[in-house]
Amino acid sequence: ILDDPDLKDIDPTVLKHCHAAAATCILEAGKQKADISAISTCLEDCKLDKERIEQFCTEYQKNKDALEILLGSIGRSPLHITDVSWRLEYQIKSNQLHKTYQPSYLVTLNVENSDSGSHPDIRFSCTMEQLQDLVGKLKDAAKSLERATQM
Amino acid sequence: KLNVAVEAVQRGLEGLTYLLTESSKLMISEADFQDSIHVLGFSDELNKLLLQLYLDNRKEIRSILSELAPKLPSYHSLEWRLDVQLASRSLRQQIKPAVTIKLHLHQNEDQTTQVLQTDPSTLLHLIQQLEQALGEMKTNHCRRIVRNMK
Repeated sequence: ILDDPDLKDIDPTVLKHCHAAAATCILEAGKQKADISAISTCLEDCKLDKERIEQFCTEYQKNKDALEILLGSIGRSPLHITDVSWRLEYQIKSNQLHKTYQPSYLVTLNVENSDSGSHPDIRFSCTMEQLQDLVGKLKDAAKSLERATQM
Repeated sequence: KLNVAVEAVQRGLEGLTYLLTESSKLMISEADFQDSIHVLGFSDELNKLLLQLYLDNRKEIRSILSELAPKLPSYHSLEWRLDVQLASRSLRQQIKPAVTIKLHLHQNEDQTTQVLQTDPSTLLHLIQQLEQALGEMKTNHCRRIVRNMK
């Protein structure tokens, strides 16, 4: 904003104040999920004229959804699973044990940190029975999600 | 108590251990085992005892040996919980469903726990992908390989 040619005649301190004030107003409105009438009333109390209030509200409406998504994504949460990869192997032998003949799965969970964005993947191996147990439990979670949404 | 020298007992034990672990590792058949120990020139009764010892303990020895192979952490169990986030410091009036998961893994006697979270659509995606993984063993390709590798 400080580099904008249209605004270069205005005192930079005033500009900063305006920017901060506008940003605060927008963020508070977003946080509280305020509707247009509440915002208008608030701006009227600040003695803004009708035309400016309308302009502000229109712009706000346009960007409201993006603002809510942004605000909703701020905050701490456990590592978030974004994807999964798997590999199926058939073990034949190792130097300690021959003739093993067992299928084994290698599962990689791609995870994201809410703070820094990336995080090393979580890897583990499992047998077929263990994978069945894992999938069974995930399906239970999904079923209970479905039931919760129907309540 | 055995009236035998200590070294003899030790060597006897080591020999026995080596015999049993090698036989279990290679999973040799009864006939092969008998042929192998025949060379040692023991009595028939002793040979029978050794064979029985081999057959009785082979499974357990193999499961212990399997612990020695290089491994990644392995799955132990999983707990899950359904959460709905209603508000946060930066945004009020939310309805954000999430599934919180506690993954228990084992690695060489260490047990680790990871707390993870995912959203409903990713959960369904995970289930679909892993079910596909399970289905792979039943395909013709895998069945053919399993058959031919025995």
